[in-house]
Amino acid sequence: MSPRIWNVKGLTKAAAVVALLMASGAAASAQQAYRFGLAMPLTGSQALYGQDQVKAAQWAVDEINKAGGVNGKKLEMIVLDTQADPQIGIQAVNRLISVEKVPAFITAWSGVVKAVAPIANDNKVVELSVGANSPDIAALGDYVYTTFPLADIDIRAVANYAATKMGKKKAAIVFINADTGTAAAEVYKKVFTAAGGQVVAYEAYDPKATDFTGQLLKVRAANPDMIHLQGLVSDTPQVIAQMRQLGLTQPVSSYSAAYNPKLVQQLGAAAEGVIATSLAPGAADSEKVKDYVARWVKEVGREPNGLPYTEYLYDAPYMIADIFKALDNKKLPPTGENFRKEMLAQGAFKLPLTGNTKLGADHTVVKPVYLMEVKGGKWTKKAVVGE
Amino acid sequence: MLNATILLQILWTSLATSSYYVLFAVAFALVLKVTRIFNFAQAAIMTVAFYSAFVTVQWLEWPAWAAFVVMMAITLAASFALERIGFEALRKRGVSVMFVFVFTFMVSEFVAYLAMLAFGTWPQTIFPTIFWPVTLVGNIAISAWDLPAIGATIVMLALLFSFMRFTRMGQFMVGVADNPDLAELYGVNKRQIFLVTVLMAGALVAVGMFLYGTRAQVLPQTGLSLMLFAIAATIIGGIGNLAGAAIAAVILGVIQNSSILVIPSEWQGLLLYVFLFLAIVFFPNGLRMPRRRRRFATATRDIGDNQDVSAAEGQV
Amino acid sequence: MEYIDGIIIIVGLYVILATSFNLIIGYGGLVSIAHPVFFALGAYTSAILARNFGLPVPLAMVAGMVVALVASVALVLPTLRVSGDYLLIASIGFQLGVLEIIKNVRFTGGAGGYTNIPPFLIRDFGREAYVALVLAVMVAVILLVRLVARSDYGRAMSAMRDDELAFASLGRNAMWMKLAIFGLGSGLAGLAGALYAHYFRFITPEQFEILQSSAILTMVVVGGMRTTWGPIVGALLLEALPQAITFLNLPPSILGPIQGLLFTGLVLVFMFFRPQGLVPAENVWRGGGGETR
Repeated sequence: MSPRIWNVKGLTKAAAVVALLMASGAAASAQQAYRFGLAMPLTGSQALYGQDQVKAAQWAVDEINKAGGVNGKKLEMIVLDTQADPQIGIQAVNRLISVEKVPAFITAWSGVVKAVAPIANDNKVVELSVGANSPDIAALGDYVYTTFPLADIDIRAVANYAATKMGKKKAAIVFINADTGTAAAEVYKKVFTAAGGQVVAYEAYDPKATDFTGQLLKVRAANPDMIHLQGLVSDTPQVIAQMRQLGLTQPVSSYSAAYNPKLVQQLGAAAEGVIATSLAPGAADSEKVKDYVARWVKEVGREPNGLPYTEYLYDAPYMIADIFKALDNKKLPPTGENFRKEMLAQGAFKLPLTGNTKLGADHTVVKPVYLMEVKGGKWTKKAVVGE
Repeated sequence: MLNATILLQILWTSLATSSYYVLFAVAFALVLKVTRIFNFAQAAIMTVAFYSAFVTVQWLEWPAWAAFVVMMAITLAASFALERIGFEALRKRGVSVMFVFVFTFMVSEFVAYLAMLAFGTWPQTIFPTIFWPVTLVGNIAISAWDLPAIGATIVMLALLFSFMRFTRMGQFMVGVADNPDLAELYGVNKRQIFLVTVLMAGALVAVGMFLYGTRAQVLPQTGLSLMLFAIAATIIGGIGNLAGAAIAAVILGVIQNSSILVIPSEWQGLLLYVFLFLAIVFFPNGLRMPRRRRRFATATRDIGDNQDVSAAEGQV
Repeated sequence: MEYIDGIIIIVGLYVILATSFNLIIGYGGLVSIAHPVFFALGAYTSAILARNFGLPVPLAMVAGMVVALVASVALVLPTLRVSGDYLLIASIGFQLGVLEIIKNVRFTGGAGGYTNIPPFLIRDFGREAYVALVLAVMVAVILLVRLVARSDYGRAMSAMRDDELAFASLGRNAMWMKLAIFGLGSGLAGLAGALYAHYFRFITPEQFEILQSSAILTMVVVGGMRTTWGPIVGALLLEALPQAITFLNLPPSILGPIQGLLFTGLVLVFMFFRPQGLVPAENVWRGGGGETR
């Protein structure tokens, strides 16, 4: 039986030819500008954040070019979709490196960051992780750096704050049984006990669960004076709601996943007193951020999803532009190796929204942690740690 | 850790939260019993139900009762379409079990993607808040959601069981479940019965999703995750046994929640799969009715065997 | 270049997955969705043995294949003596359950994934050598499945699929045949997993989820079940085409859910209007009588 596949085979061949033509076309026009890559989830379940982050970065690139670009040359950002999936991320980064030939690229989401690290290292292209917070990112290789503080930074801050400033002695940790949850829960435990406190309950919950009665009852029985919750946006409100319903009146702290206005709406009065961390200044802390948020509301009609993350992505092109400028001044070709050398040589950068950023020898950055608290139905700043 | 208060609290909350699981399980079991179809497309119906309620309350800002009515109407319409356009076409072609499976599975995925396109992927709830006031009875916290949920479930189940036992159409359903061709010889309209079955399942699902969506957040893919529980309860309860499916759903829910007291919390998620696997291997006819019958390992025979016995005993 | 190499390898691996799944579901008539889990078992076994225990990679890969095979037998054996429908449900439980275990256990790296998997061939012979390896295995798998399908064994499978009762009454043992088919298909998926692990050197449980089941199912259904070229066409379509489409620079708000809609919609459309798939075999979806009421 002869397969009638020539229509499909033909189609695939045609598509491949078109693809190659476009790729060569793209490569040819690339010489006049300084280019870098941005691999983010544009589609899929994380696109909600990814698209806002890409928009922020695009605004920055446009601003930089309006102000003259890199010594008069255009700054170009090549955006590809990763769907926050490691496999697709690999394809995207491969394309950025082999086809678009960028010396550096930005990416986020821990799975993708880890998956593409070997490619960045092997090809000597700088990988800037902006937004992922898994602690093992620090050790992914010579060419992998993060400009976003890793999980230990904000968890450490909130744990220390509870033990020292709030005077809490017994903490319960409730966390989602997934990468984000387990890593951060361990950090909290370590830091809280080192600061003189005692962890009286340490309960995980299944990512698919909607009922946390068992775990919360165990927490209640342990009688803590502080509860730290490390979950995701999709379960944090439920856990807090059920906590309050089961009679747990202790203060609750969480991390940036809790820091969104919807939480207050969903929990109503039960949201009072919830503490969350933010790794970037809010509109009340800086004029620039205030203008930035106002621009979002004006142009897009709402605030950005994950405001702190978008701030970091707004700043990243500025950092890259600085490095390109230095390379241009020194008349060095923008290869990955040169980019890395120059980046390490400069070390510290003054960024518009997130302020001063200094790249440490451990490939990470240390930034102040903003502790936000729900007061009177609104998120207000409670403290800043590590300024 | 075995403190009376803790146990009672877990028991109560599990009972309340098993309400929607019971509805999903019975819906799945009903369709399976009468039409012999493993309706994985139920996840699609669940998604449709939730988002229609969500849109009515949060976008149109209509009151809750109006949302319920709208949701019920849309869900029944979707169930109607599923049966008349989907299942009926498959029956006409005399397709295999595998075809039906792929079809229903793909329908659910398709609807999930549609929902993702229309509503984005941020988790949603039907009402803007999921916080329900709590009263303390003794030391047990009873949420204002619990009693209405249990009540709604009992009402739906009562309606279902009385329909099947006391109305003619209900009797026809049992007959068709047992032997559709024979029932047809007696003048029963098979088509009509299948439609009624799928519609009733849709109604159960709608109530279930209304309960679920007022207590927890929902994503476009939530329907598929909830299905697993329904399938497990149906199998453990015994295929063809609706009461068994309902009871199994409650028991599974209670066990899953109380397991936290004896096993480390990480393994809680695994329990369900373990039960499912054990149920299939050791209790393929369900925990409720062990039967000793010799059988050939063919696709439809077993279900058929089971049916004869359960129908003969007048079980529903 | 590395970009094209990556795509060729992915397409090659998916051809292996689709072809082996076609063996199970198409030729064997065994309804299961648990294919990605064997892909995962092969990948993790090979990766762990090579990284933590220092086993040479070729041996680790073979071990991966064996583990996948044994696991598949463990899944199928208890369910087959009951009935075919139960295999489907059990496979759902197995697929989800094993992934849960992988996510929770420390030595697999948990939900964060397993990094630093030792490479193979690339350091000594270059990327092209690995591409050649994958393509060679792919061709071998295609030929093997084709051989099995066209042999006497294949004819027996056909008979078993069409009417199991008659098959049993002729004295043929359906159970052993089903075990063999399932084991072979799953073992090949495990081999694909091992090949994946040592090229991309990072694996996470989320890559082997039920979404993959629907992708592989789509490849087989749209490509054409029970044919040699069907799964190949299906794999090419589902893996290479999206990559080619990204070069057209469509706005991202159009892609994404649209892509998912496109592929599931494609399956539904095909099932109604061209159930044989792009590459037709005869009577693929017909039941033996009495399956659907």
